[in-house]
Amino acid sequence: MDGVFTQKGCEMIKSNYLVLFCAFLVVSSCGESTFQETGQKLRDQAFLSTYQPMVSENVVIVNANMFDGLGNEYKDFDILIRDGKIQEIGQNLVIDGANIIDAEGKWVTPGIIDIHSHMGVYPAPGVRTSSDGNEATAPVTAEVWAEHSVWTQDPQFVLALKGGITSFHVLPGSANLMGGRGTTFKNVPSNSIQAMKFPEAPHSLKMACGENPKRVYGSRRQSPSTRMGNMAGYRKAWIDAQEYYEDIKDGKDVKRDLKNDTLAGVLSGEITVQNHCYRADEMMMMIEMSKEFNYQIMTFHHAVEAYKVADVLAENGICAAMWADWWGFKHEAYDMVPANIAIVDQARGGTGCAIVHSDDAVGIQHLNQEAAKAIAAGNQAGYNISQARAMKWITYNPAKAAGILDQTGTLEVGKDADVVLWSGNPFSVYSKAEKVFIDGALAFDREKPELNPVTDFELGILNPNNSRIES
Amino acid sequence: MRKFLLSLTILFSFSSFIKAELLITQANVHIGDGAAPFTADILIRDGIIQKIASNISPQSNWEVLEANGLNVTPGLISPTSNIGMVEINALDDTRDDESSLLKSGFSLFHAFNPNSTLIPWNRSNGVTGTISSPSGSAFPFWGMGSYFLLDASMKITGLKDVAMYGRLGSSSGSRAEDILMIESLLRLAASIDLENIEDELDDSLLATKLELQPEDILAIRRLISEELPFVLETNRAADILQAIRLKETYGLNLILESVEEAPLVLTELASANIPVIIDPMDNIPDSFDELASSLDLASILDKAGIVIMFSTQRSHNYHLMRQGAGNAVAYGMNYNHAIRGMTKAVADIFRIPNRGSIAVGNYADLVIWDGDPLEPSTLPKYVYINGKNMDLNTRATRLTERYSKETDKPRVYLH
Repeated sequence: MDGVFTQKGCEMIKSNYLVLFCAFLVVSSCGESTFQETGQKLRDQAFLSTYQPMVSENVVIVNANMFDGLGNEYKDFDILIRDGKIQEIGQNLVIDGANIIDAEGKWVTPGIIDIHSHMGVYPAPGVRTSSDGNEATAPVTAEVWAEHSVWTQDPQFVLALKGGITSFHVLPGSANLMGGRGTTFKNVPSNSIQAMKFPEAPHSLKMACGENPKRVYGSRRQSPSTRMGNMAGYRKAWIDAQEYYEDIKDGKDVKRDLKNDTLAGVLSGEITVQNHCYRADEMMMMIEMSKEFNYQIMTFHHAVEAYKVADVLAENGICAAMWADWWGFKHEAYDMVPANIAIVDQARGGTGCAIVHSDDAVGIQHLNQEAAKAIAAGNQAGYNISQARAMKWITYNPAKAAGILDQTGTLEVGKDADVVLWSGNPFSVYSKAEKVFIDGALAFDREKPELNPVTDFELGILNPNNSRIES
Repeated sequence: MRKFLLSLTILFSFSSFIKAELLITQANVHIGDGAAPFTADILIRDGIIQKIASNISPQSNWEVLEANGLNVTPGLISPTSNIGMVEINALDDTRDDESSLLKSGFSLFHAFNPNSTLIPWNRSNGVTGTISSPSGSAFPFWGMGSYFLLDASMKITGLKDVAMYGRLGSSSGSRAEDILMIESLLRLAASIDLENIEDELDDSLLATKLELQPEDILAIRRLISEELPFVLETNRAADILQAIRLKETYGLNLILESVEEAPLVLTELASANIPVIIDPMDNIPDSFDELASSLDLASILDKAGIVIMFSTQRSHNYHLMRQGAGNAVAYGMNYNHAIRGMTKAVADIFRIPNRGSIAVGNYADLVIWDGDPLEPSTLPKYVYINGKNMDLNTRATRLTERYSKETDKPRVYLH
């Protein structure tokens, strides 16, 4: 850890409470320092990642076409993966001892990342007993963590892996104004949810605008039943959280409160805000509220009307995570335009942050195809979107929104070797992820089904001697 | 009782046709019949396909469109949809796909809204016709779907009640009871005295308990007497076998939808000669009825000779059956069969005459694509219905234009 918290006395203390107490002392002893400035954690972190990468390949993929996730496209490039990291990228790499994969006619991209998934919390089969994505018992449940609902044997993880997904962010549902914390995972199923957590990735706070919270609670004759009720609900929660956060900063003896831990974590900058919001006017209100309470919105999710305020999003450094073409299932999703993603991307001289997200166990397997549709729609609307640029929508930008861009999301030397080898151009419907590397380990190989992951759920379920599907 | 029979009479009206010749030259023509495409010119006169041949010489007054190798397919037909019936799913007052009174006898035909925004949107993406279908209910028979041409004319072109829709599978009770109910109602419908239908329903404990109307039992009767296509959604392998038994016992014209576990009973399904409607992208084992769900479904069924049509789970975007078909081909389905599954197969199976294929004498419902029609990135360049070049503008293009312009004014002044 950086900053003032590296004092030895603090590190040795195991109890969360004591660590917290220690943090107060340290922060207050530093006088002017704030949590934002120091990167200091508000709380000691429980349920930390215990993820251990699988054994890395030592492999060089040669003669590949490459989209690097930074907006560049290369022909006949090589990439060396070793010790879990991308070691070298270039032409005619001379490598001793590495296995060689000839990718002539094939494509290499960063691992695909989905910023909006409910895998694990709404697993398959979608039965009542494991449908754990919405703690729809109160409009503000910032105290719950989606990761505590994740079923680690969800077969959807493996299906997503076959679509090139190496990391994904699992969010609570949108029934609540503040639905709880979201968590980013490496796509390596394990029996412990901690063992799947992306190391050092920040939590998020899921917030939801609009129809869902007011419908869920309005139908129960409780607040919120209107959009103005929604706004009052968030603001009341932020006022409480501000007081809690100020008390902690002032070193007061505050009784620990899980809800305010999350909200104060947003105010301190250690928890990102992932905000479900369809309508442009509501996004504008959410931005104003973030200024009122001094926090940053990381991403508007679904954002069907993002194109109406694309410049404002770019100016405020807010990403929009969008579908290529979903619409009409509710009123706030009525003004869909298929150029939405392109317009957000191109806002303010191409400084916009556009993300293609899934929110869907089928869609997550084909984010490349969703991006392909968005390129076509953008170009039809008069934009000039390259495939290399669009690759950012499903790699770099979601990595940035998830707070993991330092580790993954691009093909750059030193980053985690989260890499996909595609059978052809990844924007074609006919192309498939052939090999998926996570931290350099071969997590999926289309040509070797016997080596690929099969969840406990799938084993012997239709036929004792087979797994659920045999490929 | 005659009035009930009259109400089942098929309606068919014609929208306006272009009184002129259109020649599309050098097209890569996909007939829609499952055969490989070939290069040809297509001559359309008064909205009807007149000739398909190489090097047709245009006359001076003909309109000529040079396709230059672009793919031309029949207009796509969705075998099930909400088009014209649902504007916004979450708003009940914009929905006409459910009945509170009727069950199997529910006909949504007269609810069709030709001004729905779904029509220009789906049409601009290549869908020229649809069978709009009732939404699912707990009862195994949901009601009947009707065919509509998506020309957005207030003079509706359609076919009333072309198919029954329903479902067999896990339910609140036992599926055994659902099967018993289906069989009892089929037998009742087959034997019912049409002159005394209301009395006979009153005498039937089952019909009374289910509060069946004469329309309900007459619609079920059509499954037998007219071999009305019956689209039955089912997934579990054992349920598919039950469906095959029902087809064979009662002479049903059965179409199975979803069939995610069909590979487990492939031989039985193939020999029963039952076409299917599937979403090839839905490989999620969403329920314990769908454990065998996989991306290989389309390929496996296709190789067994089963005729495949396509549905999509994405609300309002029925053109996405193209993406499903593309994924089906990526996993091994025959390309030309995939085109057929979105065009001629639907017209043939749902008995939509003179549409669904590029054939002499058929209405010219065509799409000219800017690339491979199975690529999600491909878009229509032209859509023709009855030979008429359709406007491809939609609410989405209007909104895009409004928000793409530079302006000092509030955007409400831009239109």
